[in-house]
Amino acid sequence: MNINATFFAELIAFCIFVFITYRYIWPSMASVLEERRKEIDEGLQAASESKRQLEEAKEESSRVIDVAKSEASTLINQAGSRADQLIDEAKEQATEEAKKIKETAESDIAQSTNKAKETLKEELSVLVVAGASKILNKEIDESANKEIVDQLIKEL
Amino acid sequence: MAKEAANNLVETSDYIGHHLVNLTFGWCEKTSSWGFAHHQQDLSKSLDSACDVSEMGFWAFHMDTIFMSVFLGVLVFGFFGLINRSAKKGTPGKLQNFVEFVHEFIGSAVSSGYHGTSKIVAPLAFASCLWILSWNLMDLLPVEMANFFGQAGSGINYFKILPTADLNAPLALAAVVMVLVTYFSINTHGLGGFLKELFIVPLGPLEFISFVSKHVALALRLYGNLFAGEMIFILIAIMFGQFFMSFSQTLWFLPGLIMNLAWALFHILIVALQAYIFMMLTIAYLNLASTKH
Repeated sequence: MNINATFFAELIAFCIFVFITYRYIWPSMASVLEERRKEIDEGLQAASESKRQLEEAKEESSRVIDVAKSEASTLINQAGSRADQLIDEAKEQATEEAKKIKETAESDIAQSTNKAKETLKEELSVLVVAGASKILNKEIDESANKEIVDQLIKEL
Repeated sequence: MAKEAANNLVETSDYIGHHLVNLTFGWCEKTSSWGFAHHQQDLSKSLDSACDVSEMGFWAFHMDTIFMSVFLGVLVFGFFGLINRSAKKGTPGKLQNFVEFVHEFIGSAVSSGYHGTSKIVAPLAFASCLWILSWNLMDLLPVEMANFFGQAGSGINYFKILPTADLNAPLALAAVVMVLVTYFSINTHGLGGFLKELFIVPLGPLEFISFVSKHVALALRLYGNLFAGEMIFILIAIMFGQFFMSFSQTLWFLPGLIMNLAWALFHILIVALQAYIFMMLTIAYLNLASTKH
């Protein structure tokens, strides 16, 4: 327990070291730490911000997908009904066309039948006259009997 | 047998006495000259004074205490300064990590204990804690280590590597704290308020005694713990040293080894704790001085 001038030496040394710490060591480290703290803080904020944005983007994309899906399904439905419609229309047209063709064919047939009938009638009248003249063995005045034959043909 | 025991006893007390004497350089009244204490160093006759340590007055310097404390201070603060110089705000390296950990540790202690605005408190806490810690760690080095490095008579066998065990060093630290506490108090309460608080309210001059004694206690607490620890190391070393004195006492080797180890392990706690306590009390005193009440 001998206190002597060492005390002053230690006093001065301590003051110097405190000053060095005060001037050079403490503030520089504090500023480095503060800057890092700020940087980390900013980083964390940016991370949470981007997380939020990601969430939003996810929601947006799922919304878009939903819309697209519903649109696609309506389109498909529309296309289906349109196809049905087209098929129906085509069927109708075809049946109509077929009917028309049939009708023409029928009228054609009727026409040619009539024509044939006419021709047959005329042929028949000639044949009847010829046959009758042969049967009667005599010349029949064609002009005299023409009226009767024509009558006959008409009645056929 | 009795003679041997008596011899041992003399040697033992000599040994302890030797370990309590610092390497002293001071003013000798007898010869009116500066010099090292008598017989502490034999290298230079001109540096040897005729006075013993006890004969020197106030004007004497403990060269070992001053050298070790300044050396350790330069080491510690140089280390922190160097790391700070190259510190970067990006990902820190291992050394910077350590420095930042220390900084944060002391910074949080200061911010939780001190609520004023002064910028000197944190550096003061930092400097006192680390400086004292570096001193105290010297206690864990073997007590006889200095003797292995120097020849007898070079002065180095009087060299004490533990500055804390010299009351001057802790007292100087406490004095700085006391000056700062006084300054803070005057700043907060004004000179009149501070004097009134010291001498009149509420217990009269008792307050002044408590004011002084709490700072003396701050120094003595540190000094006492480390001095006692050092003393126990010395006592263990004596026990241990019996091995070298006579082979009839080799029995002491193993217990000495075990006790040395046990005390060193326990002492690690004291070493760190006392530095921490000094810092925390400094912060608390300064906080008390800067709050109005």
